[in-house]
Amino acid sequence: MAKYTTDELMTVLMAREVKNGDVMIVGVGTPIVWAAFTLAKVTHAPDAFFHFLMGNTFVWEARQVSLLWLELGAASRCHRLHNTGECTLELLPHKRLTTIEFFRPAQVDQFGNTNNTVIGDWNRPKVRLPGGAGIPDFSGFYATGQFLYVTRHDNRTFVPTEKLFFRSGVGFVDGKKPLIEYGLIGVGPKCIITDLAYLDFDPKQRRMRIKTVHPGVKVEDIQKNTGFELLKAPDLKETAPPTEKELQLLREKVDPLGIRKLEVLAGKERQELLEEVIRKEYSLINRIPPRL
Amino acid sequence: MKDKIMSLEEAVGLIKDGDLIGIGGLSFWRKAAATTREIIHQKKKDLGVLSFVGGFCEDQLIGAGCANRVRTSFIGMELFGLAPNHRRAVESGQIKVYEETEATIALGLKAIYLKVPFLPLRGILETDILKVRKDLKEFNDPLTGDKLVACPPIQVDVAIIHVPYADEKGNGNIQGPVWLDDDLSKTAKKTILTCEKIVETEDIIHLQGKGQIPMQSVDAIVKVPYGAHPTSCYPFYTFDANAIMKYIESCQTPEGYKQYEEEFINLPGQGEYLEKIGGIKEILKILL
Repeated sequence: MAKYTTDELMTVLMAREVKNGDVMIVGVGTPIVWAAFTLAKVTHAPDAFFHFLMGNTFVWEARQVSLLWLELGAASRCHRLHNTGECTLELLPHKRLTTIEFFRPAQVDQFGNTNNTVIGDWNRPKVRLPGGAGIPDFSGFYATGQFLYVTRHDNRTFVPTEKLFFRSGVGFVDGKKPLIEYGLIGVGPKCIITDLAYLDFDPKQRRMRIKTVHPGVKVEDIQKNTGFELLKAPDLKETAPPTEKELQLLREKVDPLGIRKLEVLAGKERQELLEEVIRKEYSLINRIPPRL
Repeated sequence: MKDKIMSLEEAVGLIKDGDLIGIGGLSFWRKAAATTREIIHQKKKDLGVLSFVGGFCEDQLIGAGCANRVRTSFIGMELFGLAPNHRRAVESGQIKVYEETEATIALGLKAIYLKVPFLPLRGILETDILKVRKDLKEFNDPLTGDKLVACPPIQVDVAIIHVPYADEKGNGNIQGPVWLDDDLSKTAKKTILTCEKIVETEDIIHLQGKGQIPMQSVDAIVKVPYGAHPTSCYPFYTFDANAIMKYIESCQTPEGYKQYEEEFINLPGQGEYLEKIGGIKEILKILL
């Protein structure tokens, strides 16, 4: 079996969620999502295409992930340019499109409700986070499900409802009723991909459960790092690891600079990678990210 | 025709203390950075700051003490971290936050040009946004009975937007992402447009996207090359990652911000600013 790192496993698992023909919505500052979507496009989903918030554009072709030069792909290579109101309200919620978008919550509870707004009381927070952006608008309304990812699975992120400081994204609310009875027309959260497991939701209880466990991880470790009791899927098994082909494409074509790792690393190691990526990208003569 | 081309100093004179200003762009992409520095120079007070996605400029205005309220769906520096002055001001209760979303801003602006008291939103139901925004009201649609949210209009006093091209009439052309800048200029009472190049209307006609910022909404046109630095301006330059990291590092304390202000904002003009950030050597790094 090929050796791989956590970011590679997570990227591959996220890529496998893309269905051929999906609109893959790439937010800002989410290179792991961008890498995953690009990998999907060059493997099993050639007819999927990108929607870049960074560009407010639809883009058909896949290009290498870039930190500094992304507008040369997202803006100059688009087949449609639109304003934000148009894409938030008209284009992306379109009935004929199936969309996939990954959110990274600062906190998530057992029903998949999320918080990206504050740590502590909203009126006088301990930490003010950037805010929910479009998550409050979209989370209850995805026809194909809401996709989440967490790069460090711990009980600071996975918290019971009473410790969720602010609900900026809607999951299954309190799990008691179908979402339609709350006035929400979406199907709710579909999965959460973490560094330890692939989690989804029990369809009856609408509560989070372990679906697959990553190789080398024990179920007890996952529970120990989760602030509420996780259910277990009846067919619980081990996560299928990345294939040689997926790894090779990711490392050599999709994201050779390892920009996705900025979402996984912390502290000095992260700062060093950030500086290295910037140095390498500034030193390029041709700044147009290669077409894949 | 009224001459709209003026100096940055004159243009920023259109902003009054207490105004709600709307800043175009996104986090550190095509933000009106030179205009922001001039606002800080002129020591404007009690400004409201609205931006679809805030970042570098919004954070500076908060750090400088020019703003007392902020309305954004997101404010941060993406992979580079949180917006340091914003974070500090909110955590210490120095600034009022209007928790917005992409749709509450998009519809709030749209309600202005449709001249309606609210627009209905099928979204944000069951979120805590409704608990902290009492002016957003849940209601039942009179036709179907469905639960919806009424989003009130957002009246911006002055929009500040940076674009690559503008003509002397005030038609502004954006080559890359527009975000909400067109709606912002159309609905604001006044718009200050800074640009990289002043071109003829004939050129706007031939540019992709044409005049997304319409002339009737623009009051001031100022030519400021590299006027978005250290944020980006497609198709000319990307953001200056080193300058942004330096800013964040400096702003970890209020004193650090003051020092940054002294060094990079308290300067006679754009020429001195560009020299200060490292001149042509640094500019060459960011050219697309």
